[in-house]
Amino acid sequence: MTAVLARIRALPSWQVTLTGALFVLGFLIAAQLAAEGPRIRYTSQERAPLIETALGLQEQQDALQTRILELRAQIVELEGEEPGSEALVRQINAALEHARIAGGLVQLTGPGIIFRLEDADNPGPERDSLVTARDIRTLVQELWLAGAEAASINSERVTTGTAVLDIGNAILANSAYLAPPYEVRAIGPDDLYERLTTSASFIEFVRSRIEPYGLRLSFSELDAVTVPAYAGTIRSRYGRPDPSAEPVR
Amino acid sequence: MIRSRRRWAITLVAAILGVLVVAQLRSQAANPGLSNLSAQELTLVIANVNTRNESLRAEVADLERTVASLTDAHDRGESALDELRSDLAALEAWAGLTPVVGPGVSIRVTGEIGGEGVEDLLNELRNAGAEAVAVEAVRVVAGSVVYGLPGGLSVENTALPDGFEIRAIGSSQILTGTLTRAGGVIAQLGATYEGLTISVTPLDVVSIPATERNLVPGHGTPSL
Repeated sequence: MTAVLARIRALPSWQVTLTGALFVLGFLIAAQLAAEGPRIRYTSQERAPLIETALGLQEQQDALQTRILELRAQIVELEGEEPGSEALVRQINAALEHARIAGGLVQLTGPGIIFRLEDADNPGPERDSLVTARDIRTLVQELWLAGAEAASINSERVTTGTAVLDIGNAILANSAYLAPPYEVRAIGPDDLYERLTTSASFIEFVRSRIEPYGLRLSFSELDAVTVPAYAGTIRSRYGRPDPSAEPVR
Repeated sequence: MIRSRRRWAITLVAAILGVLVVAQLRSQAANPGLSNLSAQELTLVIANVNTRNESLRAEVADLERTVASLTDAHDRGESALDELRSDLAALEAWAGLTPVVGPGVSIRVTGEIGGEGVEDLLNELRNAGAEAVAVEAVRVVAGSVVYGLPGGLSVENTALPDGFEIRAIGSSQILTGTLTRAGGVIAQLGATYEGLTISVTPLDVVSIPATERNLVPGHGTPSL
């Protein structure tokens, strides 16, 4: 043992430094390869350009969403400066504000809960140990039933037209890719959590889906949860206001 | 000479080390999920995100037109009330505050089905681009949930009869195709619920009522 230590001490310091650096290098290469891993392991050659493309499209999507929110803010400002009859303009602007809030086009902050939903720690080959779109939909539905008034999944606001889908092992909401872990935010009454956790259907969801498959569900109750505005399209291609209904002002 | 070679060796290792550290940090920060998908899944994600980007571009163009038109009217000192009214009509229709009509489908559901099965059906309608949906006389908006066990379904505190109708506005061809495709949601529900029958009828005119749900937040504060 002392002979080994003496031999190490006799080594030039640059060799020790180089050895240490090579150790770290080996560790990083191993970590990089491990990070490429699972949910399921695939060869990375064909996927690298696809990941690049997906990331590029996501960046475009973020920029487009930011632009939509900017333009909507600009429109609200211009509508507020409308020079027509004051009373009528005020009435229409109030109705516009109401519709924007009702539709989820406005960011909302209030008391609520943030849930984090994650795959099982060591997911096996079976799909059941991974979070599915249906798990997320169930959680959101349970929150609605418990009295939530606004909800979002990662950065996507849940609106009247939100679909949450499985695309293989990926999950999409409002056609936007959701990167795990999944975060569901909800604003509601102060007793939202009590209402949720005493609901028979939520208890059943935890018993039949979360616990047996090791999915991880954690939460945080907060005084101020922010649910983002919906930054997608609202234009109708097929539907139009019903002409037989009461005319709009 | 030897000292110089040592320096080069250490510099080279340090450079590779730096690149790897950055790559590792970037790959973990930028796409915690994408790197776990197969090539086929990535292709599907790309197709979906691309389609969404197209519709976001159309929305941006639409909003830019509205800004230009409002600015124009403003600069000329004219009123843009018509623009405001049309914006309001579109917003209220989309949010579910006013009744809407248009082409679409009628879906007749008979036999036993649970709330989560009906929600799967509604989710697939939204995925197929349904612009407005109603279950019987109830407009489905954010917060509306069809819940209950087979034989005891409710939506917005309204009990659903044993056989009930779902109506949706959108492309009747796409809505019908998506619902009825082999291995699609109707086939899956048929395999889950014995004796369930779901029929889809494309229609030229579908009427969807306004919601009766109060959509004004009572606990959250909007950031206008």
